[in-house]
Amino acid sequence: MKKPARSALSATLACAALLLLAPAAHAVDAEAAKSLARQNNCFKCHAVDKDKDGPSYKKVAAKFHGKANAEARLIEHITSGEKAKFPDGHEEEHKIVKTSPPKDMDQIRNLVQWILAQ
Amino acid sequence: MDNNNPGAFKRFWNMLKRPSAKYSLIAIAGTSFVAGIIFWGGFNTGMEMTNTLDFCVTCHEMRDNVYQEYKETIHYTNRSGVRAVCSDCHVPKDWVHKIVRKSKAAFEIWGKITGSIDTREKFEARRMTLASHEWERMKDSNSRECRNCHSFDAMSPELQKQTPYKKHMKAREEGKTCIDCHKGIAHHLPKEYVEPDE
Repeated sequence: MKKPARSALSATLACAALLLLAPAAHAVDAEAAKSLARQNNCFKCHAVDKDKDGPSYKKVAAKFHGKANAEARLIEHITSGEKAKFPDGHEEEHKIVKTSPPKDMDQIRNLVQWILAQ
Repeated sequence: MDNNNPGAFKRFWNMLKRPSAKYSLIAIAGTSFVAGIIFWGGFNTGMEMTNTLDFCVTCHEMRDNVYQEYKETIHYTNRSGVRAVCSDCHVPKDWVHKIVRKSKAAFEIWGKITGSIDTREKFEARRMTLASHEWERMKDSNSRECRNCHSFDAMSPELQKQTPYKKHMKAREEGKTCIDCHKGIAHHLPKEYVEPDE
């Protein structure tokens, strides 16, 4: 094999390896996400595939599907105490998700990514 | 056996049975009364000492695990500065239930001696079992210790958010008790715990 061809092959293999490894590096820890959701009583108002007072996580994921700012928007929603609209039309501050240790954004991001993956 | 030369126990027993020839009844009654107060006061003071937060966290099993979690919760620090310590939630206030709980807690000393939860790994492995015991105790008492401070009647529809207020009033109608919904409020939930209807 000629030198340029060999380099091209190496580069292709490197890219393929990166693509394969990239999702693993950002893999969602579903158990950790559900554990945080339970600890914060999220499931009192949400379920994975059923609407309660809040929309199902499947519905949330569908709403944000393909949107570039989905993760940032959801993080804002669950950490700022902004108003959430309820089925009867009234608005109420959404609970602020708490982590242990406090304000651990990696845990929040993992929860949001899990919701978006439903 | 020679009854004319009784043993030490028998002689002590005979002395207790013999009426006093030296002290008046009022002296004996008065001394007994004062001794009773001292004994009772000492007993209760000792028991109350075991109800303090400082006492609970002298044991590293509590200090390194549940205490650290509790310090991040609203029952430890909050807007109004009212703190609920371990015993406020885990030890009944009234005397009879308190004595029963304290007696059962004596078995925890066996756990301490045998080191049943002396490492983080052992504690996590037993967390579900231990938490389930406490949830069961709270359920059986209709969350008595929660209700020392909280009650459905004292919940204001104006001050409580609409959704929790609605859920609380529904829970009251259904005869639910605090612990049915509020598990893991001062400590982490066990990893095996799953919410109904997730």
